[in-house]
Amino acid sequence: MRPSVLDPRSKLVMVFVVAIPLMIFHRWTSLTASLVILMAVVLLLRLGLPWLNFLRGLGFAVLTFFVIAWLAFDFLTAFVSALRLLAIGTAFFLFFQTTPPEALSNALLKMGVPYPFAFVLSASMQFVPVLVRRLGNIRDAQRARGIPIEGGLSLLIHLPALAGPLLIQAFKFADELAEAMEARGFGIPGRRFRHEPRFRWMDWIVVIISVAVLVMAFWKPFR
Amino acid sequence: MILRFEGVSYRYPGVESWALNGVDLTLRPGESALIAGSSGSGKSTLCRACIGLVPHFHHGEWIGKVFVDGLDTSQHPVHELFRHAGLVFQNTDAQLFNQTVESELTYGLESLGLSHDEIEQRLNWASQLAELGDLMDRPPHLLSGGEKQRVALGSIIALQPRLLLLDEPFTHLDPQGTEELRRILRMMKSEGMALILVEHRLHEIIQDVGQIIVLHQGKIAAKGPPDQVLAREVSDYGLNLPPLIRLFREMGLKGRPLSVEDAIKELKNQDLPTPFSARLLKEGKKASISFPGTSPPVVEAEDICFSYRGLPVLQDIHFNLLRGESVALVGRNGAGKTTLIKHLNGLLRPHSGRLKILGQETLRRQVSELSRHVGFVWQNPNDQLFQPTVREEVLTGPKALGSYDSSWCEELFDRFGLVSLLERSPFTLSEGQKKRVAFAAALAVKPELVVLDEPTAGQDELFRRELAKFIVELRREERTVLLVTHDLEFAAEHANRWLVLTEGRIIADGLPEAVMADSKAMTRAGLRSTQRYQLIQALEKMKENKA
Repeated sequence: MRPSVLDPRSKLVMVFVVAIPLMIFHRWTSLTASLVILMAVVLLLRLGLPWLNFLRGLGFAVLTFFVIAWLAFDFLTAFVSALRLLAIGTAFFLFFQTTPPEALSNALLKMGVPYPFAFVLSASMQFVPVLVRRLGNIRDAQRARGIPIEGGLSLLIHLPALAGPLLIQAFKFADELAEAMEARGFGIPGRRFRHEPRFRWMDWIVVIISVAVLVMAFWKPFR
Repeated sequence: MILRFEGVSYRYPGVESWALNGVDLTLRPGESALIAGSSGSGKSTLCRACIGLVPHFHHGEWIGKVFVDGLDTSQHPVHELFRHAGLVFQNTDAQLFNQTVESELTYGLESLGLSHDEIEQRLNWASQLAELGDLMDRPPHLLSGGEKQRVALGSIIALQPRLLLLDEPFTHLDPQGTEELRRILRMMKSEGMALILVEHRLHEIIQDVGQIIVLHQGKIAAKGPPDQVLAREVSDYGLNLPPLIRLFREMGLKGRPLSVEDAIKELKNQDLPTPFSARLLKEGKKASISFPGTSPPVVEAEDICFSYRGLPVLQDIHFNLLRGESVALVGRNGAGKTTLIKHLNGLLRPHSGRLKILGQETLRRQVSELSRHVGFVWQNPNDQLFQPTVREEVLTGPKALGSYDSSWCEELFDRFGLVSLLERSPFTLSEGQKKRVAFAAALAVKPELVVLDEPTAGQDELFRRELAKFIVELRREERTVLLVTHDLEFAAEHANRWLVLTEGRIIADGLPEAVMADSKAMTRAGLRSTQRYQLIQALEKMKENKA
């Protein structure tokens, strides 16, 4: 995680301002240019390696999207759709890589989002790696019994052997988590945060620039 | 009075039996109590009742009153009680829900609405006490088991509750982690906190507590100072008696020593050191399971090396496992034990070196092929249960591998007491029953080698006895058993050989007594000799001094 100097709220404005034009652009040149800019930011923040890891997950979705769009429409539409997905994914990747979940939930609270919703959002991000590790243990345990879960199609064939234990454990885990949170005063009124998010002049500049970019994006030549 | 139970009975919604049944108890500030009893006896429910989770969070039927720091828990919600009583839960993973250790420690303080200065002061105090200084910026889910336990403890003690409860805190700790936690708990006690600990491994903590409360089917079966309670016939309540008390009982001696010093003192009082010493040394020689060492090898490992993300995890691992022997793989958390056992069925492959199972190289053999010969019983049976019935669960392996033998499986159902459970869903079983299902499932393919991953962790005495019986049966059938464990008392009784792993290297391989005699290796691996061995050493030293 690379914490940034910006307030999560200004970054949230920025990422949506980036995402909206990416959704309306229909020229491959505009999308490619956007992706190049986003990639430059990725490299500038030295997030190349995490981005490649992220691509391992997103790549499958991009490829599937590309194939379906090619079969349903044509190559150019498929190419534009895949580029769009990749660029939007990269924008959100940058947001989450530079925003700790707690900072995000604190910022959401400041925006008036109720505490339980904001906290559940950050806690769920926290528990993804825990559940991924458990999935690894489950896969090892099933393979050790002779169930051939080697990857690819066998993952689909033997999905119940993975999903069954994972779901049961996730439900139990959720119960235990709720208990532990309750026992540390989750959601009680009068909570005081150690790090209050602060909206500074730099954040205002980012918001102004973002809005300007959004206006420009609706200018026809880019679309 | 910090805690008072007055005729408390409680049952969970939809459950007929009472989890707590007419419990009366009191605890004063600075006092400590160990709650013991078999699995399902109501220990965890009692802890939850102390902080109001029972009945407020779980609902159900509630009779009686619990007062914590003078507050009636039935009249005060959990968020009004958590500053008075804090519970460190069994599963630390679910308890650490913040992004960094620091925010984990401040979460409860923020809930209390404390001032910035007060938060900073308590944060420093708790981090120092729980020895978390170097970990403050780390994400909790990336820490070791011992570190997670300290963070969970730190997050609770930061609230400065007057009553601190810990539910099986030593289950996943190695001897070094156990010692660190004991030291912290002693400091807590000296700060005036009242302590309640739930633990199966009594000997780990018994010397630090003032009283034992034995629960059986939700009722208090025994209560009082440790030596008085342990003088009674309490082992049927699922208590794993401290090793020296068991030893004295086995030898028909009076006394209930909790430590080696107590044992020596007791023997001196009874004027028995010399005859006892002679008998014990004679017994001690027989203590290791006899194994001729002439059978053919099942596993041959030669100079295995394995790295993860460029870091060496296993280095030059060399050992053999022979047919019919029982070997314990011991070492501290993170030493590489799990990585090593995953090589035995091809879940991981060595980057260099050779590994043979039944004389054949494993490198090019599929996991499913090796699974016919190597059965695994993992620490958490919930990792494998997915079938609608116990029968199908046990038969999954043989059917996947095409090695179904109906008469053998029927024998296993019988051996593991599963006959009456065969048509039940495995998810509805108790944790002990699930372990038995996992055992039967591992053996259903008739493997030559059975790997038991932390089989005694979190298990009561009744399961330990069953486990001991299963191991004897496996060895009688000439199967090889590899025990991966922190429980050296169990390993000394049920393994004829110990392999000591530290920092990815095997630093000792031999009879348990020979390994324990190698103090350099024991220290390096963060291990502590068994109490029985320590007593033999002390008696021998006395004999030498006399001579």
